[in-house]
Amino acid sequence: MHGTNPVSELKPKHYKSGIKPVWCPGCGDFSVLSAVTKALAYLALPQQNVAMISGIGCSSRLPAYISAYGFHGVHGRALAVASGLKAARPDLTVLVAGGDGDGFSIGGNHFLHACRRNMDLTYIVMDNEVYGMTKGQASPTTAPDWAESKLTPHGPGVPSFNPTSIALASGATFIARGFTGDPNGLTKLLVEAIQHPGFAFVQALSPCPTYRPEHKQWKKEVHGLEEGPTSDPGIAAQRLQADDGMSTGLFYQADVPVWQPENKVSCQSAALEKAFSV
Amino acid sequence: MNNNAQTDSSTLSVAITGSGGSGVVTSGQILLRALANAGYYGLMGRSAGPQIRGGESAVMLRSGIEPVECLDDRFDILMSLDWLNVSRFAEEIPLTAESLIICDAAEGEIPEAIAGHGARVMELPLKELAKAVEGGRINMVALGVLGDLLGIPESVILEVIGTTLGRKGPEIVESSGQCISNGYAAEKNHRPANKLPPVETPPPRWDISGNEASGLGALRGGVRFVAAYPITPATEMLEWLAPNLEKVGGSLLQAEDELASINMIIGGSFGGVPSLTATSGPGLSLMMEGLGLAVTSETPIVVANVMRGGPSTGIPTKSEQSDLNISLYGFHGDAPHLVLAALNIRDCTFATEWAVRLAEQFQTVAIVLSDQSQGQARSVIDPPPAAPIGPGRRVAEPEIEDYSRYCITEDGISPMAIPGTQGGIYTADGLEHNEKGTPSSMPMDHQNQLDKRRDKLAGLDPGEHWAEIRGTGKACLITWGSSSGAAFEAGRRLEARGEPARVIAIRLLSPLPEKALKTLLEDAQRVLVVEQNHGGQLFHYLHSLDLLPETARVLAKPGPLPIRPGDILDKLS
Amino acid sequence: MNRVIDTLPEFLLHAIVLERESVERYEELADSMEIHNNPEIARLFRKLAGFGELHAQEIEQHAEGMELPQLPPWDFKWITPESPEAGDMDEVHYLMDRGTALEFAIHNETRGRDFYAHVAATSSSEEVRRLAAEFTEEENWHVDMLKAWIRNLADPDNLPPEDLDPPNVTE
Repeated sequence: MHGTNPVSELKPKHYKSGIKPVWCPGCGDFSVLSAVTKALAYLALPQQNVAMISGIGCSSRLPAYISAYGFHGVHGRALAVASGLKAARPDLTVLVAGGDGDGFSIGGNHFLHACRRNMDLTYIVMDNEVYGMTKGQASPTTAPDWAESKLTPHGPGVPSFNPTSIALASGATFIARGFTGDPNGLTKLLVEAIQHPGFAFVQALSPCPTYRPEHKQWKKEVHGLEEGPTSDPGIAAQRLQADDGMSTGLFYQADVPVWQPENKVSCQSAALEKAFSV
Repeated sequence: MNNNAQTDSSTLSVAITGSGGSGVVTSGQILLRALANAGYYGLMGRSAGPQIRGGESAVMLRSGIEPVECLDDRFDILMSLDWLNVSRFAEEIPLTAESLIICDAAEGEIPEAIAGHGARVMELPLKELAKAVEGGRINMVALGVLGDLLGIPESVILEVIGTTLGRKGPEIVESSGQCISNGYAAEKNHRPANKLPPVETPPPRWDISGNEASGLGALRGGVRFVAAYPITPATEMLEWLAPNLEKVGGSLLQAEDELASINMIIGGSFGGVPSLTATSGPGLSLMMEGLGLAVTSETPIVVANVMRGGPSTGIPTKSEQSDLNISLYGFHGDAPHLVLAALNIRDCTFATEWAVRLAEQFQTVAIVLSDQSQGQARSVIDPPPAAPIGPGRRVAEPEIEDYSRYCITEDGISPMAIPGTQGGIYTADGLEHNEKGTPSSMPMDHQNQLDKRRDKLAGLDPGEHWAEIRGTGKACLITWGSSSGAAFEAGRRLEARGEPARVIAIRLLSPLPEKALKTLLEDAQRVLVVEQNHGGQLFHYLHSLDLLPETARVLAKPGPLPIRPGDILDKLS
Repeated sequence: MNRVIDTLPEFLLHAIVLERESVERYEELADSMEIHNNPEIARLFRKLAGFGELHAQEIEQHAEGMELPQLPPWDFKWITPESPEAGDMDEVHYLMDRGTALEFAIHNETRGRDFYAHVAATSSSEEVRRLAAEFTEEENWHVDMLKAWIRNLADPDNLPPEDLDPPNVTE
């Protein structure tokens, strides 16, 4: 669906900031960094016209590692910062990055409303099913019987959150899942997500070698989607509900109006003041 | 009760009460506008029960030939459309034996809480006069009666009816006009003790609410992005801003909650667009983490906080000045920022505009406080002055060499690269950082950045704008925000009595120009701090800065009742 | 999916990206080891990056003056999920020793060799087959060299990496 790479001098490495990541060696987030830089290079987006916004968590460190404008804010509010930025500056390409705790737990409400608002944003959630920066607690996507955290010695005991289904129900217009073991496949999804007009949600399964060493098995469990994307939310809902959470690819893409203020001047503020005159 | 209560003979105070839906607010607004068109100044506050519709409603209006900055101690006229549940307003509408109650005998006996003051009573057949007109309304008859008693030419009110009710159709205008005429013609056996003198050549004036005035201040200051969540009593600011921002090339985003709105405006401002949110106490509480982020990331933003009774949900529809503490101290960590307060409705424009200019200049948070008694009140005012424009936001030029977002500069302000600027790429961070913006837990980085964020505010030269200071004398009243009007009036009355006083109404609460205040207080013998809250928040703040003499006292009176000039004189005597 | 490479420019593009991504990955790993206080392995990865850099330059010289095709990352004809010498990220650990680091490198170089061997076996272009076979030999030489390094390790440490401290709480 995409043409050839626009001829550009920008290589993926030009989108790396040179700051050395604090991530553990073996962390899936390195692949997301690689995929993001490849996607930006493929799209030949000038660095200064890109902004990456994040909250708090391992994955939220991503903006500093990318050579683009970045905002590393507080826990759970990345989508809010990004929505404000995009509303005020529609000319920028705005990417949002974070983890499963940041996006689905503390930031859950913003996730619902960002999907619903359908602004032209790309939201990458690096899902490792754990809180890495606070010593490995269960996150919303952790399985109910995962009992490795002292905080939930019997496991969280509640069903895990289904991000793709919830994104669909909330109104996201592009829903995909990638795997960090396949960075080039993830790159393709990111390119399509950035090109998609509207709110694009990409769940990136990103293993945590420190707290979830069993994720090493993921590369054996992930599998491509059997069918191509649908634009029918009913069909998408059925597929997402039936999905095992390990299929990768683009599930759903729909053409729905994007929310974006025009920010066009039609009058000077001094003229508005006349309305108050007696 | 206070002994110093008096009514100012150069102004007239009128209250209109009735059950909600009877048109109390509409008639109040028309009356205020008619007074304005007749050349007067005025102030109109409103009070309502907690119901969405119905219930009970009151407007409290004071008019005169000089700007009106506060409600009076007593009301000259109480116009009652009915007596249903009016008792809940009895405390808000103090009357004297000189006052005049106007009511319809058909509505039954005057409740004791009202009648107990021994005010004169004039019964008029309001309902009958309304019924005589097809589609006639009692509130319009009452408006005619009041117009006559206040000395407003009938033609002036009819003209206001034509413009304000015109969109409801000619029939409504016609019947309303007829009712008003009936009110003017009704035989009246009482008149208020004094009358407003006619104004020959009135100066240009505005008819504006505090929330509108704040919204205008935001636009004047350059705000072009607002994200907010509806909350009483701040919503009207947003309602005014939404369509007007659109006209000047900006936008308003209704957020999913206050956590979103504060972070959205941080995003907007990061993008280079001056940004603001409006809220009230509960919303401000939710925003605290975001405010700290804006301070640390040095992203300029403004929060217009329209105070209501607190804590918790408190009293949403009534006024109180009890958010000073959270505004000053609500942040965790050491987070220098700006706190301003609007001294009256006219000042809502100036203070908000100034807050935006200062936030932009110093790349930090400005909280600008007003309250329900300003925000939801209307006033006829002199057009508000412009705030000092200042140098604006210092931005990084394109292709800057080896850019450091948080570099240490002489004045503590570092050039901010706006996304889109070549060579300015950086990541803003709420984590403590080094000059480049890279997260750092090194002691020196923390020390340097803390120093920088504190010291940059030392460069703020507020000139004379930090406070409004009137009068001189050994007695000194110190106040802030909406209590200023009552304090100024108390000062005038003291002067008239031969006990001159100085009144200091503080607009810039943080950073407070301590030296200037200290100098003013050097020879003060009696100092009274006046504020509408329970804990004496300004009083304790000034004490913490060691600015008050030991003998200083405080008049700390919580909402919802306003502080009246007489309360202050009582406390002083 | 068609994984056959038939033209010289396409083959050289693959070879350059293979080497460049390998260099970048070794550099990234070296950085990461430095951040995590494992300077010995950082030095090793830096050295491997250096070798890769020389190889990349060599191939780039081959391609000089030639117009290489533009190919999106996902359309490369790898027989592995990533470019073959970029290594499996989940095989590294910040406490890895020289033995495991060399095993990792051998795995990489072997995959690189296998890729070139695959091209040498499947391409329809004789020139591509010849060059791919040449590169296969070079990679073989790399693999042998790394194997020799392992054998020469004075004190082969076969303990699995173990962290005696609990992880840090950073935010």
